[in-house]
Amino acid sequence: MRISILVLLAVVGATPGLAQTPIVDESEPNDNVRTADSVALGDQARGVVNPAGDVDTWFVDLPAGQFLSVDVDAAQVGSPLDATLELIAPDGTTSLAFNDDFDGFDSRISYRVPQSGRYYVAIRAFGATGGPGLTYVINFDKVTCPVVGTEQEPNDTPGTAAPVAIGDSGSGEICPHDDNPAGDVDYWAITARAGTTIELDVDAAALGLFVDPVIALYASDGTTQLAFNDDEDGADSRLQYSIVTTGTYYATVADAAGSGNPFPYTLHVRSITPGPGDPITVRAQGLGRPWGLAVGNTGDLFVSDLTGNRVVRVSGQGVVTTFATGIPTPQGLAFDAFGNLLVASTDGAVYRVTPQGQVTRFITAGIPLWIAVAPDGRIWLTDLSDRSLRRYSSTGQFEARFDAISVGGSGPGPLAIAPSGEPHFSQGTEIWKLANGELRRVLRGAFIIWAFAFDVAGNIYAPAPAAGRIQLFDATGAIVADTFAIGPDAPQAVAFGRDATGATVARLFATDPRVGRVFEVNPAGVAHPGQPVGYVAPRFPLDVAAASLLGGGGLSAADLQYLDALGNHNGRYDVGDLQAYLRTVGGLPGARSNR
Amino acid sequence: MSRSRWILAMVAALVAGTACSDNPTSGSARAGTLTLRLTTPHADDGAMTFQVSGPPIDSATVANASIRLFTRRESGSTVIGAVVGALDNGAVATLHVPDVGAAARYTTTVLEVADRQDALRASLAGYALTVAP
Repeated sequence: MRISILVLLAVVGATPGLAQTPIVDESEPNDNVRTADSVALGDQARGVVNPAGDVDTWFVDLPAGQFLSVDVDAAQVGSPLDATLELIAPDGTTSLAFNDDFDGFDSRISYRVPQSGRYYVAIRAFGATGGPGLTYVINFDKVTCPVVGTEQEPNDTPGTAAPVAIGDSGSGEICPHDDNPAGDVDYWAITARAGTTIELDVDAAALGLFVDPVIALYASDGTTQLAFNDDEDGADSRLQYSIVTTGTYYATVADAAGSGNPFPYTLHVRSITPGPGDPITVRAQGLGRPWGLAVGNTGDLFVSDLTGNRVVRVSGQGVVTTFATGIPTPQGLAFDAFGNLLVASTDGAVYRVTPQGQVTRFITAGIPLWIAVAPDGRIWLTDLSDRSLRRYSSTGQFEARFDAISVGGSGPGPLAIAPSGEPHFSQGTEIWKLANGELRRVLRGAFIIWAFAFDVAGNIYAPAPAAGRIQLFDATGAIVADTFAIGPDAPQAVAFGRDATGATVARLFATDPRVGRVFEVNPAGVAHPGQPVGYVAPRFPLDVAAASLLGGGGLSAADLQYLDALGNHNGRYDVGDLQAYLRTVGGLPGARSNR
Repeated sequence: MSRSRWILAMVAALVAGTACSDNPTSGSARAGTLTLRLTTPHADDGAMTFQVSGPPIDSATVANASIRLFTRRESGSTVIGAVVGALDNGAVATLHVPDVGAAARYTTTVLEVADRQDALRASLAGYALTVAP
């Protein structure tokens, strides 16, 4: 009802001087461009879509650069017609624009014509219906900004924003550049409570228009941008944001393309049902584009930041410091068996960063995207250059390559090691694993899955940035919670935290590059501690490792294989492997443990 | 005391004195330490296993704090060990022995050497260990 009143007010306000508007009645047959009826700008055409399948065609002669507004009033004034509208070029065949529903079921097209000529407008009934009661009027006019839909121009500032309630929709039009050379921006005011996750969804291209809207959300001060999106849903935009403070927020809709062509749009404002991982807590903000995420052995978070080609460290208190710089396009992160941070860079290398922040080129690869370290210290990475999954020794020697082209999708992408020790990777919307040398699909999701994480039970926490949520799957790939957490706007990578002893805990962190944040989901919603990540120190003590090397035995075949993999991987346990193990456990003279 | 009885008494005293002594180092043997020294053709050795055989060795300790030492007694006359750290020409271990005078009787073998990147040396040519006071 509220919308209807606003629409009525808008329609009344939009048609000043209606009584003087020339009315032109249709003249059948007018089913095609050759028999089209003539109108001029400022006219109001009137007709009936009858019988079923009827098409009424109108033409109007326009000068180059003219901004044309073709606005149907039918359903709004009581007609049962659900109209569709098409604008056709002077050649009589090229469709320039199409619209079905703009004001409710009524259609509207705004278009700046590129050249002088005769343009045609065809009106039909949706579903090719028709009948004597399907009456309509079409207002042919110039595009102007003042009032369209439920917006009220001027509304280019927070102070003039049109209100829209959560659960409601607003409709408006981005004005042509002639009317607003700076580029029209429509502000909408939204009142939201803390703990609410709102979704702002713009439909413009979805209305059948060749346009590209962008949307942004601003804080109560009207200037601090909280979220932004372009092209989340095709050319249309959508964003989600978790409200932490009750207040009035401002959404803006604008034109990304800057073509100057005006277009109508509808803004949907929704509240999203939270999941067990909601609400989220912001742990760090003000980052550029936080991407990959790894957790250090003391619980600090390490984040690759595409802005600045750097890795930052986020302390438990949320203090952000730069840890390493000069790593081009840093992607996935993982700690190696020696406590160094490995950073996959699509620049063509994996970089190794010492605990002191010294960066060296470590592994040369094609386009390494993501990286993980297995419990035995071996390094796994995905390489987009040949779409492969690759395995390296803990010291960086290449060991094996597994072709991942056969799994389809666009990967292999993000990578993680399951509790079974098997590497899993996303190829887009699916997660696959390498088991006994063969690739097997684990799950198929509805959204693009980015850098997922396992808990100790093998459950998969999968961020879906396009959907603005984290999903939860069990170890078999069955969905456990379609919405595990909706708070993040575009979660990119998730990782479980650690406590001060290095033990992995039931705290899940994520990066959100859209808003430059690192956040934590609600720990109460996490059922199990995270799968220990990276190298896991074996249970045998150092003295046993040394005694075994010297002929004393005491280690199993698996232990010996582990030590060999940790060291030089030459097929047997030797003094070089003991040295590697000493280094790992901080047993070298003058060293301290890296674990 | 007759001359014969005096001789017998002296012999008995000598025999008794010998029988009461259980110190194997008595006489010319002298307990102490010997140094195990490495000769290496490389400047980046990180770890080595070795074997020392010969007279008894009571224990072994590192020669300096930059090295970590592990040992295992293979038999009464053989000790094998591993040293890990920044190895260089010079002392790597101190051997505590019951008879420092027997230093020349020890034989040594370098078993394996790894560089500081954990890779094993393909050849042990040029390596040597010596035991000396």
